[in-house]
Amino acid sequence: MKRGIIILWLVFLFSIPLWINDLYFLHILINTGIFVIAAMSLNLLLGYTGQLSLGHVAFFGIGAYVSALLSVGFDLELTDTYTFVFDPIPVWVAFLCGIIVASLFGWFIGKVAFKVRGAYFVIVTISFAEVVRLVSLNWVDLTEGPMAINNIPPFTLGIPSVWEMTFYQKEPNYYLILIIAIICYVLIRRIVQSRIGRAMISLRENEPLAASVGVDVTHYLVIATVIAAAMAGAAGGLYTHYVRIVDPDIFLFIYTVTMVIMVVCGGKGTLAGPVVGGIIFGVLPEILREFAAPEIQWIIYGIAMIVIVFFLPDGIVPALTNWWNDRRKGVLSSGLVADSDPAIRDKK
Amino acid sequence: MTEISGDSEIVLKVENIAVHFGGLVAISDLNLVVRQGEIVSLIGPNGAGKTTAFNVITGFLKPTSGSISYLGKPLTGLPAHEVAKHGVVRTFQKTSVFDGNTVIENILMGLHLKGTSKVWEVLLNLARVNAENKYLNARALEILDQVDLSDKGSEMASDLAYGELRLLEVAIALAAEPTLLLLDEPASGMNPTETASFMKIVSKIRGSGTTILLVEHDMRMVMEISDRIVVLNQGVIIADGTPGEIQQNSEVIHAYLGYGDENA
Amino acid sequence: MTEFLQHILNAIVLGGTYALLGIGLTLIFGIMKVVNFTHGELYSFGAYMVFMFSAMLGLNFFLAILVAMVLGVVLGAVIEFVLLRPLRGANIDTTMLVMIGAWIAMQNLEQFSWGGVAKSISHPFPSDPLVIGDVSVSWIRVFVFCFAILLIAGSYFLINRTKLGKSMRATFQDRDTAALMGVNINAVYTATFALGSGLAASAGALLGPVFVVTPTMGDLAALKAFAIVILGGLGSIVGATIGGFILALAEELGAGYISSGYRDAMGFALIILVLIYRPTGLFALKERYG
Repeated sequence: MKRGIIILWLVFLFSIPLWINDLYFLHILINTGIFVIAAMSLNLLLGYTGQLSLGHVAFFGIGAYVSALLSVGFDLELTDTYTFVFDPIPVWVAFLCGIIVASLFGWFIGKVAFKVRGAYFVIVTISFAEVVRLVSLNWVDLTEGPMAINNIPPFTLGIPSVWEMTFYQKEPNYYLILIIAIICYVLIRRIVQSRIGRAMISLRENEPLAASVGVDVTHYLVIATVIAAAMAGAAGGLYTHYVRIVDPDIFLFIYTVTMVIMVVCGGKGTLAGPVVGGIIFGVLPEILREFAAPEIQWIIYGIAMIVIVFFLPDGIVPALTNWWNDRRKGVLSSGLVADSDPAIRDKK
Repeated sequence: MTEISGDSEIVLKVENIAVHFGGLVAISDLNLVVRQGEIVSLIGPNGAGKTTAFNVITGFLKPTSGSISYLGKPLTGLPAHEVAKHGVVRTFQKTSVFDGNTVIENILMGLHLKGTSKVWEVLLNLARVNAENKYLNARALEILDQVDLSDKGSEMASDLAYGELRLLEVAIALAAEPTLLLLDEPASGMNPTETASFMKIVSKIRGSGTTILLVEHDMRMVMEISDRIVVLNQGVIIADGTPGEIQQNSEVIHAYLGYGDENA
Repeated sequence: MTEFLQHILNAIVLGGTYALLGIGLTLIFGIMKVVNFTHGELYSFGAYMVFMFSAMLGLNFFLAILVAMVLGVVLGAVIEFVLLRPLRGANIDTTMLVMIGAWIAMQNLEQFSWGGVAKSISHPFPSDPLVIGDVSVSWIRVFVFCFAILLIAGSYFLINRTKLGKSMRATFQDRDTAALMGVNINAVYTATFALGSGLAASAGALLGPVFVVTPTMGDLAALKAFAIVILGGLGSIVGATIGGFILALAEELGAGYISSGYRDAMGFALIILVLIYRPTGLFALKERYG
């Protein structure tokens, strides 16, 4: 039964570009897809491992910038006489490099930031992202600063000189992002249902107890950060070759907050949570666009997060899951607070 | 209660351990050995330094000076997870489980060291990862059986009764397959029935070859179950002997004036 | 040399207001253990209040500043009562998330109400600067500095010489014991948050006329406040004060001798360095929380 639903879902998702003619709607879906990947990556660190890392947008932006720079090419004046020239490389290679560099930053930040814990850790992660933003803004020689990197090449597919398709249009980008989103979902699912994922969850639930049974705390915190950074970097790379322009605003704290809202409202520590959250907050702005100024929308999101934290502390997905389970058992759902970790039991 | 001869192999050696917190001396000079297969109880008035001793032995606290070795290997200064890898596992004084998960998930988390799959193997979903999960799930059920919690497998840990929680704590520790198990006041808050069945479980654990070091206030349990008792007072060991010897020891009685009567 | 002295002078002036920001946050963070993401918004709230009362409604400049401060205290009390009190005892992540939600809502409310364009606030001080030897400082900045020092002294007095301050210090040391000794923890928390918010609002009210007023001005201010708290040590007013001056100095010298673009990065660089090498801060009164 479950298998059947999944297959139906996939068929549906893959078929969308065939019957949706509104390109703008497709654009919304593509953006939503990128959000979802980013939200899933943050969920691994925030939801499963329980670390409130608020610098996540840095990994997204690093993935975007590295991929952009390598695929466009750049020159760097190192001394008065020597300029380092980097020629453009194929987009896919640049994309992979973006992921790798984002992972390296994830590893570095993991090692450094986790020397402090609790609130101080949160502050370090925010500071890290801000420093990256300021560097991208000021190191104009490399990043073009506020002038942005333009004309970033899109993805291409094919065999050179035989057949080639360049992803200028929305449809191929949609499929690419859908496929990568599915891959990320599957990878995260594999992790959280394994011993590795259990180690991460144990850190969230009771760190001293986890250590007492042999969980190497730092090691798993770093692993979670690296994987989360890699996926965020991938989302950044997808973004950069779709939108084809990138500027330092990509590092703004507000985007981290957006991802946090998606994860928290959707349901942290669940597989479906960030997907639901990503879809809601990817699509909601478009629906509200008609009759609410951007500021009003943000006020709504801010209040929404407060309300969810107060009344549905585990997010929408667990609340729905519990309500559905209680109904099946024939019991009226008494409270809204979900005390369970659907991650391991969530067999989706 | 089996007699442990003096030639039984020493497994844990704690030598000249001192723990100073700024000006406060929690432990001044701790010397203690534990032999293979023994059940040793560490007793003493509140504040004597018992939990601090546990924390130092298991890597949750670094000693100011002194050394600890287990099975000949040095443990001093190792982080907690490394100590666990050496087979030394502790429970906590305050009830400590993974609240947000089911009982069986709790045990699976305790089984962490029993798995070996690496991140890349998990990502690629290699066959051995699935085999490992099957094995770990089976092991978890076995352990649940060992502590008589088999019917509680899919309950949320937070829904368990107090006595069951304490059993779960022991089960989680057992999952890590310790050869030396340190139990920090495991019977506190238990009623006599629960304490009695708990003692049976402790005997079973020792019977399977695990050495046990125990901090307890329940004197009846201590006297009945221990091969040897070590008495700690104000950071120093004041007595070390069989239950019989300890009961006669005047210094112990002095330190505990009136204390023994409450729990006898 | 003159340039150096000018930087020092600028740093001293700026440091005073930074100290206010830092003191406010170290009280909240230290006593209540709340990562207060709304701190920056109280800062911009203070500035916007001065703008609204002084520039828009024509109220006397100094009165407008006082009004802004008082309103900041009130707003702080409201936030604590509505959002934080119900969450007492919840874990730190939950509180942080609520604070983030409030921060977003507040900032966008400001943007919606006054628009995103920078506003300037006119002040009654002469535009010719006060000249001392080779260095100069504008009169408004002198005023800001003096007022800030007054507020710092006032905070110090309140914390160390009043009954409320005593309750706050007791709660900081050990909340449970303080409660057992009869301290009304709820009242202390509300007062702490109100006071801290009031100080942030006054920092904004003072700096608004010096720079310009924008909806996002609070973001950097908040992060700098955290830098100051970490630098100075949690819960230490003296530490926050000195930390404020150190940060201002680092910014001035960094902007002057390295690059003005990286001015704001100084705060973050300091945070990261301090947390790596001296996590308890320079003047820690208590073990680092967390």
